[in-house]
Amino acid sequence: MNAPARWCLQRGEDGYPFEFEDLPDPPELLYGYGDPDLLGGGLAVIGSRRATPYGLACSRRFSGWAASNGIPVVSGAAIGCDLESHRAALAVDGPTVAVLPCGADVDYPRRASATLSEMRRRGVVISEAPWGTDPKRWSFVRRNRLIAALSRAVLVVEAGLPSGTFTTADHALDIGRQVFAVPGSILAPECRGSNRLIRQGAPPITDVAELAQELGYEAQADVPAHSTDRLLTALTATPMRPDDIARAFDLDIVQTIRTLGTLESLGHLARYPDGRYGALPR
Amino acid sequence: MTQVYGQAAVGTTTLVGTEPAPVEVQVDVSSGLPGFSIVGLGDTAVLEARERVRSALRSTGFRFPNARVVVNLAPGPLRKHGTGFDLPIALALLAATAQIPARLWVGRRAVGELSLDGTVRPVPGMLAHALGARRDRVVLLGPLESSHLAAGLPGLEYRGVSSLGRLRVEEPSCGVGSSRPHTGPDPDLAEVTGLDTARRALEIAAAGGLNLLLIGPPGSGKTMLARRLGPILPPLEGEERIETALVHSVAGLDEAPALSGRRPFRAPHHSASLAGLVGGGSPPRPGEVSLAHNGVLFLDEFPEFAPSVLQSLRQPMEDGWVTLVRAEGRLRFPARFTLIAAANPCPCGYLGDPVKVCRCPEAAVQRYQGRIGGPLMDRIDMAVSVERIDPAALVHYSPAEPSARVRERVCAARQHARGAGRPLAARMGGAELLAGCRLDARTRQTLGDLGRQSHLSGRAVTRLMRVARTIADLEGSAVVTVDHVIEASAFRREDLR
Repeated sequence: MNAPARWCLQRGEDGYPFEFEDLPDPPELLYGYGDPDLLGGGLAVIGSRRATPYGLACSRRFSGWAASNGIPVVSGAAIGCDLESHRAALAVDGPTVAVLPCGADVDYPRRASATLSEMRRRGVVISEAPWGTDPKRWSFVRRNRLIAALSRAVLVVEAGLPSGTFTTADHALDIGRQVFAVPGSILAPECRGSNRLIRQGAPPITDVAELAQELGYEAQADVPAHSTDRLLTALTATPMRPDDIARAFDLDIVQTIRTLGTLESLGHLARYPDGRYGALPR
Repeated sequence: MTQVYGQAAVGTTTLVGTEPAPVEVQVDVSSGLPGFSIVGLGDTAVLEARERVRSALRSTGFRFPNARVVVNLAPGPLRKHGTGFDLPIALALLAATAQIPARLWVGRRAVGELSLDGTVRPVPGMLAHALGARRDRVVLLGPLESSHLAAGLPGLEYRGVSSLGRLRVEEPSCGVGSSRPHTGPDPDLAEVTGLDTARRALEIAAAGGLNLLLIGPPGSGKTMLARRLGPILPPLEGEERIETALVHSVAGLDEAPALSGRRPFRAPHHSASLAGLVGGGSPPRPGEVSLAHNGVLFLDEFPEFAPSVLQSLRQPMEDGWVTLVRAEGRLRFPARFTLIAAANPCPCGYLGDPVKVCRCPEAAVQRYQGRIGGPLMDRIDMAVSVERIDPAALVHYSPAEPSARVRERVCAARQHARGAGRPLAARMGGAELLAGCRLDARTRQTLGDLGRQSHLSGRAVTRLMRVARTIADLEGSAVVTVDHVIEASAFRREDLR
């Protein structure tokens, strides 16, 4: 298989995204793979690396919608929400842009290498770092300003505290981009950051229709299925451990484990890496 | 007094691993330059017998011959080690110099260490020597302290002697001590409140002999749970009891708890060396895996163990034996145990904790979890996460079920499996499981769906079925149903950390 063609654009050159001019310090040189016309006007979908199944499901949902409507999904290819966003866009054959903290030809993080090589062929992978550069500690924060600049809006799907997603949100606000956040449980530490953004004024996004409306698109309001299962309702509010669920509902532990397992196999619930169960958006 | 010259021989045994090999101690007392030498490939401990025997004889009023004394340990090519030769050497010497009647020692064996004052002391592996005597149908003379062994081994004729001096006055009595009770009560599951899911996992692991991984922050009760697996297993019986006690005896540990049916619990520290864990050294000593034979091996801080050390557990976990290959030959120690591994979710331990914040960099977490998923992971059947419980909330929980009740269910489940002609679930392979589970179409469908949804490998599906089969046994069900499979899937370890 042929290696995908790569390019290097100078500031002001034809194809160099004019959106970077909004930044106080646009990159002088831009390295990358893919179609430079897809740079600009995208939707940044970002979130924490240690994403919960909830965060991942939200990434999939919103990125999938954006990409299938031709809006490039911009993110940083980090493990967790970022990577899930790129994958969701690739899955619907939509446009997606990864901005790397290292050279655009470097597979970082390593576990993203399969997705990155796919994106070099079918999407866009860019960086302001020369070919072959390894990531530096400071380059992550620097790259976040590029993610903000290439997007018309930034959607934070899940962030704890402290979180790197805040620098992206700050850059976005500095250059006049919208920042949205997906609300999470007030009890979940994984959602404390994204909930704080809402408190600070970021409009909450609770379904695809709301996002579409904010971005000037039309979309049918998707009515979340109303659950009749009281267990499922409880877990929608906050992820819990089987022990706590059994106590809260006064159930036998074996029965609880089996009910949770059944709901999981139906795709209503996901087991978190720490053993809690949480509802998945449907 | 005139010097008596002569020859005599007394039987004894030396240990090759856990095997007692017969050895004949021959003594020749002859005229010549006075001296005392021992030949026959003895180690330093054997050679030092000269000083102990000389002093012991004098302290107990016997005479040490003022003559040339040669001791030969036959067969010559076999390496001999340990201090158990003191007693047979002293007896042969006394018989050769006619200080005790030689005919008493025909067809008998002696094993024991001598103090300088003539006291007879037990040596590591007394149980092995005793088993050897029973096997070869000979009388064994040994320390009085070890008389309780005779009570546990019907068919063994044992004579306990407290001091060499007793042999002047009487034929040693038949020592029938009672077996000593083991000390201290077992830890009880009633003390574990609030960890219901983990308790259930422990019960399933006990019923199926399955290996379990516990994941949770420091202080969440992982060690507490692991200690309580032994007491919910059926007590050691028959052969198992002897096998386990034998290993403990050879290692120089108290064999009484195993003889009274208590399953061993071994928790080596993560700095354990390869030889410490699987056995080794010279003479070869059983390692922790063998000391855990028929019991529980608990590896706390599992990812901190050296990968090479964990790798060495693979062979014993597959065969139930440790095979050590040495210049002198191959040795086998039994090593069939249930493994409980415990790990923190991340290096600092607080990943996912509702209160304390984890400060580990993502890369460090990945590395740590990579190590959990390392060498032994395919031998671990189930995993459960253990939460740190708010101590203030503990008082609101209803009292937990005691071990005795859980053990009844575990025993019933094992009985059910035996009744259906199945071995422990832990020992069942893929094809055997498929036949033993008797899945109907719907359950098959569920199993397939689960496998696809969670991207389970073939091995993972086999593990899932092993757990499901055990859950069905706990319910006394001949067939594995959807419910069993679903519950088993809650203990799959694939995406837990």
